[in-house]
Amino acid sequence: MSEEATSAETSKASAKASDTTTAKRSPIIVCRKIVRSFWRAKERLDVLDELDLEIAEGSFEALMGPSGSGKTTLLNLIAGLDRPTSGTLTVAGTEVSAMGDAALARWRSQTIGFVFQHFNLIPVLTALENVELPLLLTSLGSSERKKRAQIALRVVGLEDRMHHRPQQLSGGQEQRVGIARAIVHDPKIIVADEPTGELDRKSADEVLHLLERLNKEFDKTILMVTHDPAAAERATVLRKLDKGKLL
Amino acid sequence: MTLSGLSIKNIGHNWLRTILTVVGTAIAILSFVLIRTTLSAWEAGVDNAAQDRLSTIHRVTFVMPLPKRYFDEFNGARGRIPGVKASTFMNWVGHKHPTRETEFFATMAVDSGTYFDVYPEMSVPPDQLANWKENRQGAIIGEALANQFGWKVGDDVTLTGTIYPGDWKYKIEGVYEATKKSVDRAQFLTHWDYLNDSLPEGRRDMIGWVASTVDDASRAADISAAIDAKFDDQDIQTRTMSEKAMTMEFLGGASAILSALDIVSLVILGIMMLILGNTIAMGVRERTHEYGVLLALGFRPKHIATFILGEGLFIGLLGGALGLLISYPIVEQGLGRWLEENMGAYFPYFSIPTSVSALALGMAVALAGLAALVPAYSASKLDVITALRRIG
Ligand SMILES: Nc1ncnc2c1ncn2[C@@H]1O[C@H](COP(=O)(O)OP(=O)(O)OP(=O)(O)O)[C@@H](O)[C@H]1O
Ligand SMILES: [Mg+2]
Repeated sequence: MSEEATSAETSKASAKASDTTTAKRSPIIVCRKIVRSFWRAKERLDVLDELDLEIAEGSFEALMGPSGSGKTTLLNLIAGLDRPTSGTLTVAGTEVSAMGDAALARWRSQTIGFVFQHFNLIPVLTALENVELPLLLTSLGSSERKKRAQIALRVVGLEDRMHHRPQQLSGGQEQRVGIARAIVHDPKIIVADEPTGELDRKSADEVLHLLERLNKEFDKTILMVTHDPAAAERATVLRKLDKGKLL
Repeated sequence: MTLSGLSIKNIGHNWLRTILTVVGTAIAILSFVLIRTTLSAWEAGVDNAAQDRLSTIHRVTFVMPLPKRYFDEFNGARGRIPGVKASTFMNWVGHKHPTRETEFFATMAVDSGTYFDVYPEMSVPPDQLANWKENRQGAIIGEALANQFGWKVGDDVTLTGTIYPGDWKYKIEGVYEATKKSVDRAQFLTHWDYLNDSLPEGRRDMIGWVASTVDDASRAADISAAIDAKFDDQDIQTRTMSEKAMTMEFLGGASAILSALDIVSLVILGIMMLILGNTIAMGVRERTHEYGVLLALGFRPKHIATFILGEGLFIGLLGGALGLLISYPIVEQGLGRWLEENMGAYFPYFSIPTSVSALALGMAVALAGLAALVPAYSASKLDVITALRRIG
């Protein structure tokens, strides 16, 4: 692990990450001098300012910072939803900063699992169909797709709710369906932007526990943006972003 | 679930709006089918009108009668008109049903000896025909009329006079069937002699018009002129023309209405397309965030565009199919039956041509697809991050 990355970890989080296996593994996400600027009425706004970051494979990292500090912007770049204005970004061995739209979409559908703050389930689809969604882009047959979606729902403990629509589920259950959708295609990396932002404490804890399990049992690399200190505690690494720079 | 399944499931996003749109489309299709069927029934009226049968009427208007003796020129009493095969005469009687007076049907006092020679496309069983000829108070009615009022052979029927006042008693002796589409299947045929003898002296021996068949339809105009020439120096002159010419003359007056109807049917389709376009565009706008999620998951803009097109086509198909489903009973059973029974002279046969239903369904689907094109295109230009930021 690089020196900057190590120094960016808070003492508390590094203390928690006492198992050294995480630190030894090679980085799966590498940001080099990443700049992302937006123009607002002729004024250039550098939301991310020459940011360097390495995230080791198999780690569970939390990203905190004040509103507007650029957390979502960074997450979007790493997830391949956006491209940096300058700098290079390598994720899971692929230089995503250099990819075209179509290639990036295909890469995303294979490599990244998304967990959203507002769950973002499709309201007209059942839990099972929502989870099956990412598999529609694969060459899997329909019975295999269904089987895998059921397994993913079993992992999040909602197999008995698979024919329910989002409306018929609680917020915590919706987010667990969201997590099942994020893992059904077995991505290496899960990005979660404030996954507990809409949930009560109990549901939030269930979701965090689930993310922990995905990290430990299924070896998913997880990058989670959060405002919730209790959520950040669950992560093995805690990073803080302010004004486009990692502290 | 499949990709196309996903596309179709989206119509459940807002059931009320989907149902209203489908019903709106169906009503537009019903109107379209109704207008188109009317136009084609009208055209069929012209096409089916006989070219080999002439009507000789009072020069001024068919409402004014001709002296009965004029018929002598036709039936051989004073020679023959070359080219004329058979002739008959009749009066418009205008009786009404005593209780159901709004239900119009044609009552005609005809010359029983010659009528069916001139109208061979009306077929009556020979025994019924013989009975009718025997009974001066007998009547022969069309099968549509028999169905309408539940009349059958042997029934005594009393009708209310209008042109010829009073109660008129008849006995149904026969029912004719039409062997051609052009025939009004709801006529009530009585004996001219019976009518004439019942009239006061001053009103007797007048006939409404003469109908003649000719040997050669292509000479109809010449023969018509020859007939009219016979009465040139009489005090009442005649006007003779083929049934087809008469229908066309009538339609000539209506041609402005016909082309207006034609345009209205297209306007209806345009309105239908706007309804569909509005629904689809609203759904797409509301689901921008959802499309952002799909794009994030790796779906491509072409998938999104296809979903929207598929959804549009499906709604169009549903609306079109429902429209046809309600069109058949309404247009054929309800209105069509009514027109055939009440305006059989102009709409002897009112039913939806296959070409019209195919066109209606095709238009519903094609215009729905067209209406979905713009929203589909703009959705395919969505940027994933912008779409995700839009909280739906
Ligand atoms: N597409 C864009 N166009 C213009 N400005 C943008 C765009 N996206 C983000 N920004 C700006 O970049 C800054 C960082 O935004 P970002 O969403 O990354 O913040 P954040 O750290 O996720 O905040 P929050 O905690 O409120 O979610 C903000 O000032 C935001 O207004
Ligand atoms: Mg954010």
